[in-house]
Amino acid sequence: MKALDRKLLRDLLRLWAQVAAIALVMAAGVMTLVLAVGAQRSLFETREAYYERNAFADIFATATRAPNRLGDEIAALPGVASVETRITQNAILDIEGMAEPASGMLVSVPDDGEQVLNRLYLRLGRLPAPGHPDEVVVNEPFANAHGFVPGDTFGAVINGRKRDLTIVGVALSPEFIYVVTDLMPDDRRLGLVWMSQTALSAAFDLDGAFNAISVKLLRGQSPDVVIDEIDRLLEPYGGRGAHDREDQQSHAFLDSELNQLQAMSYVLPPIFLLVAGFLVNMILSRLIALEREQIGLMKAVGYTGAAVAWHYLKLVIVIALLGVLVGASAGTLLGRGLTRLYGDFFHFPFLIFRAGVDIYLIAIVVSVSAAMLGALRSVRAAAALPPAVAMRPPAPARYRQLLPDGVPLLSLLPQTTVMIGRNIVRRPLRALFTSFGMSLSVAMLVGTLFALDSVDEMIDVTFFGAERQHATLSFVHKLPAEALYEAERLPGVLAAEPARMVAARFRNGHLERRLAITGKPGDSTLSRLLDVEGHEVTMPDEGVVLTTALAGILDVGRGDTVEVELMEEHRETVLLPVSAVVESYIGLGAYMDMDALNRLMREAPSISAVHVIADASRIDELYDAVKNLPLVGSITLQRAAVEKFRETMAENLIMMVTIYVGLAGIIAFGVVYNGARIQLSEQGRELASLRVLGFTRGEVSWILLGEFALLTLLALPMGWLLGYLMAYSTAEGLATELFRLPLVIQRSTYGWASVVVLVASALSALIVRRRIDRLDLIEVLKTRE
Amino acid sequence: MSDGPIYTIEGITKVYRTGEVEVHALRGVDLTIDAGEFIVLLGPSGSGKSTLVNILGGLDTVTDGKVFFRDEEITAFGDGELTKYRRDHVGFVFQFYNLVPSLTARENVSLVTEIAHDPMDPGEALEIAGLPADRHNHFPAQLSGGEQQRVAIARAIAKKPEVLLCDEPTGALDSKTGIRVLEALAQVNRELDTTVLVITHNMAVGRMADRVIHFADGSVARIEQNEKREAPASIAW
Ligand SMILES: Nc1ncnc2c1ncn2[C@@H]1O[C@H](COP(=O)(O)OP(=O)(O)OP(=O)(O)O)[C@@H](O)[C@H]1O
Ligand SMILES: [Mg+2]
Repeated sequence: MKALDRKLLRDLLRLWAQVAAIALVMAAGVMTLVLAVGAQRSLFETREAYYERNAFADIFATATRAPNRLGDEIAALPGVASVETRITQNAILDIEGMAEPASGMLVSVPDDGEQVLNRLYLRLGRLPAPGHPDEVVVNEPFANAHGFVPGDTFGAVINGRKRDLTIVGVALSPEFIYVVTDLMPDDRRLGLVWMSQTALSAAFDLDGAFNAISVKLLRGQSPDVVIDEIDRLLEPYGGRGAHDREDQQSHAFLDSELNQLQAMSYVLPPIFLLVAGFLVNMILSRLIALEREQIGLMKAVGYTGAAVAWHYLKLVIVIALLGVLVGASAGTLLGRGLTRLYGDFFHFPFLIFRAGVDIYLIAIVVSVSAAMLGALRSVRAAAALPPAVAMRPPAPARYRQLLPDGVPLLSLLPQTTVMIGRNIVRRPLRALFTSFGMSLSVAMLVGTLFALDSVDEMIDVTFFGAERQHATLSFVHKLPAEALYEAERLPGVLAAEPARMVAARFRNGHLERRLAITGKPGDSTLSRLLDVEGHEVTMPDEGVVLTTALAGILDVGRGDTVEVELMEEHRETVLLPVSAVVESYIGLGAYMDMDALNRLMREAPSISAVHVIADASRIDELYDAVKNLPLVGSITLQRAAVEKFRETMAENLIMMVTIYVGLAGIIAFGVVYNGARIQLSEQGRELASLRVLGFTRGEVSWILLGEFALLTLLALPMGWLLGYLMAYSTAEGLATELFRLPLVIQRSTYGWASVVVLVASALSALIVRRRIDRLDLIEVLKTRE
Repeated sequence: MSDGPIYTIEGITKVYRTGEVEVHALRGVDLTIDAGEFIVLLGPSGSGKSTLVNILGGLDTVTDGKVFFRDEEITAFGDGELTKYRRDHVGFVFQFYNLVPSLTARENVSLVTEIAHDPMDPGEALEIAGLPADRHNHFPAQLSGGEQQRVAIARAIAKKPEVLLCDEPTGALDSKTGIRVLEALAQVNRELDTTVLVITHNMAVGRMADRVIHFADGSVARIEQNEKREAPASIAW
């Protein structure tokens, strides 16, 4: 080994604690990069492979009743590779040992068992036999939640008739990787039930007809043209508008998860790399200042400037590579863990782990670059140092008077405090960046943990402000308005309120969106409309009310007009004024006064769902009654869902908080520890002299650590501001049509973020304090610096 | 020169262990120093002078033996008591000044007066040490070596310590400047009745002392008592 490399090695060993702290910050950056990109790719690849193997369709459409020949016509459309017509319906399931009714989604499979599209991935058993109408396949999560195996049975109310179904198979489907019942996925409450086509067409009087169709496109075919064609063909048969994968629930949810991972890989790694670069800059400029004479010597004996530069660059490259090694390993492990978690949360039959070699290469390149950039200034200075100058001690540090002479304020301060002030003023940039580095740590916590506050707010507004009902009963088809009174008479129902849903398409110029209009009574008290400030909005008699998100999509505001195409029995396109814009965080919404909607539909007052408030003590009676109501197609249990949602949140919370607190702690710790160590190296002699003069350990420590205490305090407000901006852009970035986060940050979130950073700083200060306590008092007297 | 001994040193030894090697820096020193004395320590390099002074100043510990400051055994002190001892009783002047670069001359002195019981005014201390008034607000980097040493002396005397320990205070200075520094020390000894111990390599300096202690190989070789102390100005080297 060459002598210089041996020096490098010894330097690394001597500086191990600081090297470790910087490498750790680097590692955190690499870890988040590898973790996020690895999980994102794994999830994406798994989904793609699953779609490919099980022929997930590209376009989905439903109709009321379309003759089977239409399937052939759609199959013959240009750009279409294959189609599968189906029958899908909702049903209430009655499962032994479960008080509340479960929601069933019935989906037909071809009699011959040859599924063309959205093929089931059978885990157990077989597909239903055509001659046996009561044989079904259920989805695996549902089966697991109830301990079902082939041979077990459960009850279902199918088109008003109570039937016993026998499970013959357990499967997974690419269409239902993620399904939501009420608000959250609830495997117990939602069953996917596949039955033979014959059985379902008999049950719903759909002989020779279908009510749903899936279409696979030829490679490279854009869906838009085909969607228009399908809409045209299905229109006479109650077509409710075709849509592509983007509007398919399971697919869209996975997309938003993928987006989040991508956002994580764009935001977090740069923060860590920035801080690491700064730390490299600090440690290297100090090292080079200490080694001026050695550099002079090296030059004097004939080493070139480039050789000197390369020597120091090697040091930072080693630090960066250490960071990459630790970060990439941790990221790979955690990425696999996260992918596995996804595997549990989403329902995949298999998982593909794919981080990709390139991401490791990228990690190396960005980490080494960040470190080299940080080193650039001091290395350049070292390379340019003429040997004669290098051998002389550096020009003494210039300190400035903080205030002009004779200003009394200064003489009131203890000299130890004056020292702190002068040190900050002497290196304002370093002080600023130290503070900024710590503020990034605060910002990261505020910018991630705000999500908890926002979700709380979202739940409060949505379920305790707007949708205040405990449950919603949806009917299989519209019913006369009198059905409300029957609902009111159900056991345990304290209050009931009707709603009417009509499939529609909204248009403003070329902007359009398919969405049901919800009719509500003008005096509704359960399902209410709230404006942006959370105040109740009374339903206007005329016009349509849009949620802010929908208004945004259609680019209309209050007072504008939208074109509304009604898409049920009565088909008509009307122009409606936007009479109000309301806030809603979940989904898109369009509302009308129910009477106005009935008039528009030219129908007698009718309703499609009833919201109820239930007496908690009689809830089981209500559940029992609903299980036997022929016309109820599904039941949403908002209140129960909120409770479950909060539980799940609490579980996820611990992990999320732990990870982010750890990451933020690493930044704060790294910045303070390195800063204080470098300061100690610069001021050690001075501090030891003060100890000789009779200053206590505590007093001497304060001179050094007080500076960091001050910089930490400055970092807090800066961090709150940056955190707010980060939260703002996160909320904006995560907003989808399904789900939006209101930007709410509680004071306690700012508070906790500050506490974490204060604790991390205090911890590193304590470690440095131990070094200050061990300062060698005699050593400093023997030598000139 | 009257209140009895300020230091009583009883058979102290000091052994430095660095790995396998043992260095006997002090090999049994017995000594009594009276309050108000001006003492010069002479001896070849490595003979243990600094080690002794560091122990007297509470900076280092002994391997064996005892040191009493008046009635208190400082060799039995813990770190906290040593700190308090240095703070309240001892002034130090070093070869390399050891000033705080971020504080002006006056502030360097205030640094000590702020934690002292009954200090003098920093300006007064600088005056005694002989730093011209127009330099009081200069930073160390703006002062010459001799001026810095005078700030160090001012810093050491400002709290009116009972002892002033000086380890080669003129070591880095030319003779003219060195003499001014020595004059300042003599003045402190005379006017404040401070006990002064000066380590030096300059035999001539011994002439201004009450006693000259010659060190050799870790112990006291001989002690010279001066009949008459000479003024620093008359010492030439
Ligand atoms: N920290 C230490 N570790 C090991 N040996 C030491 C240490 N400090 C001093 N010594 C040794 O103790 C002996 C006495 O040192 P000391 O500094 O007291 O000498 P000195 O008389 O002050 O010399 P000088 O005139 O050169 O300053 C020397 O041999 C020295 O090498
Ligand atoms: Mg010495």
